[in-house]
Amino acid sequence: MTTLLRCLIAGWKFHDYGPMPITFARAKAWLSQLKSKRDRQMAGRLLNSVIYISERETKRILLHQNQVLMDVLAKAGLSSKKLIYVSVDEAGSSSPVMLSILRNGAGLEQRGCKLLDSRDVLGIRDATSSLEEGAIVYVDDFVGSGDQLCTSRTSALQGVIGNFSEFLLVPCICEEGFKRLNALGVTVYAGHIHAKAERPLHEHSHVFDPPTKTRLIEICKGIRPKFGLGYQNMATMVVLYRNAPNGIPAVLRGSDKCRPFMGLFPRYRDLPVKK
Amino acid sequence: MPALKPSQPEVPQIVPAGQLRELTPDQIKPNAHNPRLLFDPKELLELKTNIAQHGVLVPITVYQTKGQSKFSILDGERRYRCVQELTAEGHLGKLGKPLVIPANVVEPPSKVAGLLYMFSIHNIREAWELMPTALSLKVVMEDLGEQDNKKLTKLTGLSEPQIERCKKLLTFPEEFQQLSLDPDPKTRIPPNFWIEALPVIDLALESSAVIAKLGRNGAIRKLVEKYRARKIKSVIHFRRIMESYDLNRDEPHAREQVLRRVEEFFLNPTIEIRAAFDEFVVEKKRVQTALNACDSFIAQLQGLRLRHTTEDEERQYLRDALRHVRDYCESLEQELKGGDDPDVARNLLALDDDGKDGEEGSSQQI
Repeated sequence: MTTLLRCLIAGWKFHDYGPMPITFARAKAWLSQLKSKRDRQMAGRLLNSVIYISERETKRILLHQNQVLMDVLAKAGLSSKKLIYVSVDEAGSSSPVMLSILRNGAGLEQRGCKLLDSRDVLGIRDATSSLEEGAIVYVDDFVGSGDQLCTSRTSALQGVIGNFSEFLLVPCICEEGFKRLNALGVTVYAGHIHAKAERPLHEHSHVFDPPTKTRLIEICKGIRPKFGLGYQNMATMVVLYRNAPNGIPAVLRGSDKCRPFMGLFPRYRDLPVKK
Repeated sequence: MPALKPSQPEVPQIVPAGQLRELTPDQIKPNAHNPRLLFDPKELLELKTNIAQHGVLVPITVYQTKGQSKFSILDGERRYRCVQELTAEGHLGKLGKPLVIPANVVEPPSKVAGLLYMFSIHNIREAWELMPTALSLKVVMEDLGEQDNKKLTKLTGLSEPQIERCKKLLTFPEEFQQLSLDPDPKTRIPPNFWIEALPVIDLALESSAVIAKLGRNGAIRKLVEKYRARKIKSVIHFRRIMESYDLNRDEPHAREQVLRRVEEFFLNPTIEIRAAFDEFVVEKKRVQTALNACDSFIAQLQGLRLRHTTEDEERQYLRDALRHVRDYCESLEQELKGGDDPDVARNLLALDDDGKDGEEGSSQQI
């Protein structure tokens, strides 16, 4: 596939990326930062492996998985009034936004569900204490290692009184987070489980031939020496329309404040502040 | 119900007898409320070796919540962990089949029963954080309509002082309770902050019209701000404020000074407790300790009935020692006659002797 064609596809496929909309010109500018043709070809191949979850897809997955979960719980004897949806991060971040999508799209409040934040321990205590049994449904857009979710869960559980099953609704979760939450007994309803094998730069992946993989890792570490392959070297290839996870390789994410290397999928916090 | 240690208070029968089943580790989930995060690795290894040889002999107790495929552990977390590790290491059970855990599957405990069960676990093993304990205790008190400390002790296994502390925490509005539930330990307010601050808040509200105008929550917010600004370096420093008040309460002038300082302490965000209150406490405490020492010295000598001894040599030692005490006490008493610090007076005298400072005869004025 030619570089130009890859750029055209990128501009079409990732056009609604939140932090910085992606166009043909931006994709071309991104690739042109790599000096050799071989590097550009390899980066283009890596771009092909990106799993992009658009806004539409996010909504579709969330609403579908939620309906499946509600059906399962209804069969188990838990009506929607016994469900407590919990956002796991501060206001303005992804989790409350996902909860808002669900609230509006699935009519959670009209169905009698309770919507809370994981840090509102007293609110959780009051809700669980009055219900005595039910389900706690954590909501987020992406789970990588599961570290953040586990911290929020620990906080929320301080307030739980009674018998509550735990679930996670998420458009995408990494294999690592899935295993961890499964061991803790949190049942995951996800649109996609992101396996290590499908991340070309992950140590357990053999998608790319060794020279390509080695060279791309080298480029990533040149851009971000400590986090070349992202948080915990996860080398995730999932990008969400709202933001890229902190586990994506640096060649895709770029440098801090986008200098000297401008990533194709910078995170909000990577963008330079406009004066 | 699993056996509790004999020293532990009896916990009501809360877990009914269940059905015995064999479960694989992946059918089980650890109880989210179990306080045991850390296990003694040596003991765990012993248990693991034993389980590897003989399997799990004592069934664990589990229950299943609605909608969840896994069983939650009520008792037997260590056995579960050992089997989980053995399975991960590829260890197989009898006849080469995957390892299983015998489990007594019981009905999910009721809300209060679950809480009481967790109280019993926390009492035997690792203590809960005080704020979650207080919140759980509140549910028990509300649901059972029980307020009596003795009865609550029997129900929960918490000691009476623990219950008293929890009740103190519950007197604070939720806005403040929430601050002790912050998941970030760096920003979390320790529960002891509220307990130690409580008498100080009461004192300030009673004694200062300005603080009373702020209202209880306003006064508490002032203290939280000071704590966050590191002007309360340790929560036990609140005791210094109460000590200042208690030591000076019978002297109207000093008492007034302390109360004025308390008001100032609440209103001025830069004042630190020790800097503000040490002056009311340190001197008083020193004198109080000396008075107690005098009383206890005389009482001890009286208790020894030393008026007569036949041992001449020892009698002489004793008389020498008593003379020594008398001389010291006399000199101390002389020094205490004046209102000035004798060390300062001595220094001034030394300066006069050197002829470097002061007028001739100034030492006599001291």
